[in-house]
Amino acid sequence: MKLEMRQKLAREPFAEKIRKVGQLIRLAKTFPRRAAKSPPAAK
Amino acid sequence: MPTNEPSANLPLADVLRAANGLVAAKLIEDWALGGALAAIYYVEPFTTYDADIFFIPADKGLTAGIPAIYAHLQAQGWQVEREHLLVRGFPVQFLAASGLTGEAVREAERIEFEGVPAKVFRAEHIVAIAASVGRQKDKARIEQLLQQADLDKTRLEKILQRHKLKLPTL
Repeated sequence: MKLEMRQKLAREPFAEKIRKVGQLIRLAKTFPRRAAKSPPAAK
Repeated sequence: MPTNEPSANLPLADVLRAANGLVAAKLIEDWALGGALAAIYYVEPFTTYDADIFFIPADKGLTAGIPAIYAHLQAQGWQVEREHLLVRGFPVQFLAASGLTGEAVREAERIEFEGVPAKVFRAEHIVAIAASVGRQKDKARIEQLLQQADLDKTRLEKILQRHKLKLPTL
């Protein structure tokens, strides 16, 4: 994300940012990160 | 007394209200929001899984009054999960402040969140605390605050000097 956009997000009201943190937590629980696949073994 | 049903939203107002309740019950002298949620007061929102409440203990003994704090909050329906207390499913850590974090509590910014009076660490103290801890995620936090927060450079310099800290190379 561009720095300008991130700075714009940083200036949002705290309550709005906390609402977005809640959304991020829900998303992270819905779509947990998968462990990186190990490369196929060399034959 | 808040219900302890898991919340769809982050129950920060409940956390702050409970911290004020601990002051009213004379279990702590003062407190402020620190950690990632304090950083988010100044920077873009990011994922975090707990709230850190730093407090000045009323009990100056070794336990810093932690058992009484836990008992008080459990009586209000909070649950205990390892080092966290859970309110509406959201983990909260209560940390006794001293030295740099004690100063951060005393000099914290007064705010109001959803009608609840609260205090949040100043950005300059968050940077100094991150510099004192020095993990990779602390370096990332410093970089984020330097880019996005309106830091008072003079205040930051004084804090760093007072606590003999240096900003890491980013």
